[in-house]
Amino acid sequence: MLAFFRKYQIPLSCCFCIVLSLYIMTAAARGQLKNDPIGPLLLWLIRPLQIAAHSTTSWIKGLQESHLTAAGYKAENERLRKRILELEMERNRFLEAEATNQQLRHLLDFRSHLPAAGITASIIANSASNWFQSCSIDKGTADGVRKGMSVVTPLGVVGRVVDVAARSAKVLLLTDPNSGIDVMVQRTRARGIVSGSLENGTVLKYIKRTEDVQVGDRLITSGLDGVFLKGLMVGTVTKVRKESLGLFQVIEVMPAVSLARTEIVLVVSAEGRSAAK
Amino acid sequence: MKLSLLLFAIGLLMVLLQTTFLHFFPLVPDLILVLCVYWGLHHPTVGAVLASFVLGYSVDVVSSPILGINAFAMSLVFLAVYFSSRSIWLHNHLVSAVVVLLASLVKGVALVLVSAIFLSTEGFWMGALRYILLEALVAALLAPFVFALLRRGQTYLEKVQIPGLYY
Repeated sequence: MLAFFRKYQIPLSCCFCIVLSLYIMTAAARGQLKNDPIGPLLLWLIRPLQIAAHSTTSWIKGLQESHLTAAGYKAENERLRKRILELEMERNRFLEAEATNQQLRHLLDFRSHLPAAGITASIIANSASNWFQSCSIDKGTADGVRKGMSVVTPLGVVGRVVDVAARSAKVLLLTDPNSGIDVMVQRTRARGIVSGSLENGTVLKYIKRTEDVQVGDRLITSGLDGVFLKGLMVGTVTKVRKESLGLFQVIEVMPAVSLARTEIVLVVSAEGRSAAK
Repeated sequence: MKLSLLLFAIGLLMVLLQTTFLHFFPLVPDLILVLCVYWGLHHPTVGAVLASFVLGYSVDVVSSPILGINAFAMSLVFLAVYFSSRSIWLHNHLVSAVVVLLASLVKGVALVLVSAIFLSTEGFWMGALRYILLEALVAALLAPFVFALLRRGQTYLEKVQIPGLYY
């Protein structure tokens, strides 16, 4: 018996891992996975590295910009060039601080218009997979973030919190195929669901063929899904197609918020119970 | 076991790369898959199986809407690579690229099947094929370089002969 296990230890351990992952998936899908022992440990390992990498990326970006600005002074002697570079780097840091300050002011202004209190968070990492659109933020249960809270910016909706650890949270972006946001067309009040798709980018689903939807129409949250507050900008209609068959129109949407240019977000609860930090 | 731990640390670094620096590319290269294939071909141990599972799980923790989906795919990939490695007699760049290509296809199909069962995402199938093929091609192209780097690192470690690193 022991010889059998020793001989087939690798296939058997693979099978064990496959069965274990199937069990985890089933439990997670049913919402029974309350106390996950490995996840927080991995997050504890990865999170500081992600924050460090995020800072490094920002620093490299700043350095790159500084170099670009300093390019006009190439004829200057070495000492002056170094000095200019130093000054440019310093200036860039100030500009970056000013830009962050401005972003925070916008957020603060936006927050004052929201009925619910919000938690300001920074995006520290993106999805590791091409299949799912998600990101990680630097606030977790310790800061008042809870599963199901909405993540927004003054420009519009970013996504929804799907998993929370003590000091970080996972946000499912509205561009993910598994997301679904109850929206309405601002002009006609026609209701539908905005979701991501691997094929057409972000799409507006379940809009009847008889509904009037045009390119350029703005989509706002309906507030009926219990996750997002009513009236938040979701995106703009970029393409409307009526297939020869089918009950619904095929509508493509350009999200209002571009994650590539988003650094700071606001986590809000539709019920207005979140504790502001 | 200690070597597996060392390789697992490299795996965590790859998770970090995939979630931060590599996100600037239009398609994030699946370095974790390439690493798991390397383990399956060159270090088929129980430690490597567990490391593959945990790396898949760490991708789930930071990215997936449902836990276990990538852990499942990585374990399956390891099993497939382990069985295929028993029939491979030649180890060169082309063979490693082909194995990674096939492993990526296995992973893609596993992800689509599991997503269909657990997530029942509408329209997932249609766009998935493009992703499966693109991911597989990118991973296969990168495989020889990553394999060469890992092998070089391994050779260096063998030369250094850190006491107790190998069993």
